[in-house]
Amino acid sequence: MRTKTFRGGVHPSGMKELSQGKPIQFYEPKGDLVFPLSQHIGKPAVPVVKKNDPVLTGQIIAKADGFISANIISSCSGKVKAIEPRMTTAGVVAQCIVIQNDGKFDTVPGFGVPNDDWASMTNDEIIQKIMDAGVIGLGGAGFPTHVKMRPRNPEEIDYIIANGAECEPYITCDERLMIEHSDWIVAGIKVVQKLFPHAKGIIAIEDNKPEAIKAMQAAISGESNMEIMPLHTKFPQGGERNLVHAVTNRKMESRDLPANLGCIVDNVATLTAIYHAVCCNEPLVSKGFTVTGDAVAEPANFMVRIGTDISELLEAAGGLKTQPKKVIIGGPMMGMAITSLNRPIAKSYNALVCMTEDPVEKAFEQMTNCIRCGRCVRVCPVGLVPQQMAVAGQRKDYAKYEKIHGLDCIACGSCTFICPAKRPLTQLFQLTKKEIMAQKAAAAAKK
Amino acid sequence: MNGLLNVSSSPHVRSRLTTGSVMFDVVLALMPTTLFGVWFFGLHAFLVIATAVLTSVMTEFIFDYIAHRPNSLTDGSAVVTGLLLGLVLPPSVPLYVPYLGALFAILFVKCAFGGLGQNFMNPALAGRCFLLLSFGTVMTNYAVDGVSSATPLAQMGNGSVVSVTDLFLGFNSGVIGLSGAALLVGGIFLLINGTITWHIPVSYIGSFVVCMILGGGHGFDPMFLIAHICGGGVLMGALFMATDPVTSPMTGRGMAIYGVLVGFLTAIFRIYGNAPDSVSYAIILGNLCVPLIDLISIPKPFGVGDNQKKPKPKIPKAAATLAIITLIAGVALAVVNFVTAPIIEQQKLAANAASYVEVMPGADSVGYDSAVTAAVEASAEAYGKSTINEAVVGYDASGAPVGYAVSVTNGEGFDGNIVFSVGFDTEGTITGLQFTEINETAGMGMRADEPEWKAQFAGIPAETITLNDQIDQVSGATFTSKAVTNGVNAAIDFYNNNLK
Repeated sequence: MRTKTFRGGVHPSGMKELSQGKPIQFYEPKGDLVFPLSQHIGKPAVPVVKKNDPVLTGQIIAKADGFISANIISSCSGKVKAIEPRMTTAGVVAQCIVIQNDGKFDTVPGFGVPNDDWASMTNDEIIQKIMDAGVIGLGGAGFPTHVKMRPRNPEEIDYIIANGAECEPYITCDERLMIEHSDWIVAGIKVVQKLFPHAKGIIAIEDNKPEAIKAMQAAISGESNMEIMPLHTKFPQGGERNLVHAVTNRKMESRDLPANLGCIVDNVATLTAIYHAVCCNEPLVSKGFTVTGDAVAEPANFMVRIGTDISELLEAAGGLKTQPKKVIIGGPMMGMAITSLNRPIAKSYNALVCMTEDPVEKAFEQMTNCIRCGRCVRVCPVGLVPQQMAVAGQRKDYAKYEKIHGLDCIACGSCTFICPAKRPLTQLFQLTKKEIMAQKAAAAAKK
Repeated sequence: MNGLLNVSSSPHVRSRLTTGSVMFDVVLALMPTTLFGVWFFGLHAFLVIATAVLTSVMTEFIFDYIAHRPNSLTDGSAVVTGLLLGLVLPPSVPLYVPYLGALFAILFVKCAFGGLGQNFMNPALAGRCFLLLSFGTVMTNYAVDGVSSATPLAQMGNGSVVSVTDLFLGFNSGVIGLSGAALLVGGIFLLINGTITWHIPVSYIGSFVVCMILGGGHGFDPMFLIAHICGGGVLMGALFMATDPVTSPMTGRGMAIYGVLVGFLTAIFRIYGNAPDSVSYAIILGNLCVPLIDLISIPKPFGVGDNQKKPKPKIPKAAATLAIITLIAGVALAVVNFVTAPIIEQQKLAANAASYVEVMPGADSVGYDSAVTAAVEASAEAYGKSTINEAVVGYDASGAPVGYAVSVTNGEGFDGNIVFSVGFDTEGTITGLQFTEINETAGMGMRADEPEWKAQFAGIPAETITLNDQIDQVSGATFTSKAVTNGVNAAIDFYNNNLK
């Protein structure tokens, strides 16, 4: 089996065995559901409901505002309890719509009715359906999918890459999705192929998921224009630029979109959402989610309704067996540590990892001066020199930082992971990037 | 759930590597070399290494304490420095040598610049160079138990044949860490576990070999090249010293540039230099270039420029600037040389002529005598380290001969040749001494050129002179005094044999 990959990267221990063998459970929440208005990249959505309005499952409760934005869909029935600022999982206070869940999950008319003649729809109709359904990139970035489906060069798109790399440790929801619902993914690719008829569908999966590869292979057996591509297991294999390079040997610059190089990259979960939106009249109300970590009693994979409270889902996974020291939304390489479990699950989240040990705490004690060993340079998937960036960042020499391409950093964390001196590199780079951006914004405002 | 959660920026997992584990890997990789050295050279070699390691560790500990810095011993870098320093010392050095070397390396090269990771040159090599300059004699004495033998490179310099197998295995005289085989084992271990990459060893040895083929005088002679790689510390340098992460470049390209530079310098020092070490100086000079190399070797980020039409390959600006500066400097030097060579030659002749008149007090003019010139030519090689360059006859105003002047070169000076003229009258008495070329140490050997010292020779009968008998030596300049006396004696011999 040929496996392709990219240059650089690291091999953190996978930890996927905790939840790898657990089939997806559908979980119906009992408590209130909370919908932050900004779950995507771009402008926050604008609420179209008022306090005390009744809502149904699948109803649009906030509308996309502007070109890059996305609708918010209620994932339960009940009534609007409040529209107020709340602390979100990302650690910021933001406007949220709170729905009091009546537990019936009554749906809007037509919800879930199969749309068998979707193939006769025009491209614009398909894209409108995706937009109405509030579909965004579910791999983590949260870029509105309908925008991605309107590249400037639709004729030149020759690859549709289904991203099933799932290179973050611990997370297994995409893997379970590929094993259990490979037909959804294949159908999703077909919808996108309708938009880009010259494109070949490539399903890229890291080779540590042989079962998923097998299931997907079976699912595409009748398809002439699709192919499974096993990839070398390495972080960040699922990063867009690394993935495009591994699959097509084309190299994206930081300012490139995959479409510039003839590629449309969608996570397998996003393709599932596209399938549900276009072929089943089912907007994005639920998604795959892994609850795992050594502090969780029974790690599990769920299909969970968006807006569900994290602590409620954690109870569904048997609750905590020990006191966790750190709880992460997303994977441990790029996910964010959260301060409280009473936070809602947003569209682009895919895992909850509860760890009884915090490796960062230990690393802090082991930190020494940089010994210039060069490992950060070797693992950087973008080909940067993190050591020099760290020197420039620490000195706040922003001109130098930009000159050595520091703004190209994708914050994958590989350098920080590998660093023997335990330097907090990624943190410094994120901070420096923010400061440079703030300075630029200030300079632009002055003009 | 009760209790607070830790919050930090991603990533939330870390590899098992620590600075301590990296340093431990280096120590482990040096073990074969250390064990071989101790087994081969005996207890004293062990004591040398132990002194170096202990001094390094203690120095760092005490410095941290005095400077109120967090104790940095756990990172293990002081042990590595001490061990590396011990391995590049001769096995029989007195123990104050590793002590002072380690003290210098840790205190001045490492701690003074900010400790771990902040030193601008390899501390172990800086320590070795400090010792070479300060204790030249003991640092180049490779005698073990009183039995001395020349190092393999010295033997090769003399034209002897050396056994490459013995050299590779380490059955030879040299520093403690001399076994090429053991070094190679350690180096391969470091390559496999990722502590070092192939860039520096390959580019270093590669460029060294190329330079030795081009300039070593043996062409492509595998035995000669292998002997040069195994002997004189090139393997130690390429695998352990030049790869010291702190003082080598960050990127693969930078490492390659650095390796080529260090290999080139090593070869140059070995072919043209007369210092007892080439590798240490080459690497230390290379270390000094690392910040610049880092600056010019920042790679393009992933994908940049790959999708545009390829522009003409541009020579990096820094390289172009360097090349132009080198070119201009080279041309300027050549021009200056071309213009000044005849002038310098004339000035030398004039200086010679002036010195002849000065050493013969009664002479107004000098002239050549064919018999005397023939005798000079016949005397080649007759006076050991001294050479008779020229001998002239001095004439007074009336044209009568008043004496002779002999120009002598003696090669025993502290810094190369000393050239001077000795005057004789016709009765067999020395009338004067003048230097025409002398480059001895300022304040010491150069004091031979003071009138008081030179005046001692005037009036002495032309019979073999003994230093400290008729002539007081220049204090602190035994070499210079001896060289001059020997040269004068050669002139006296020549005078007695041919002119008297």
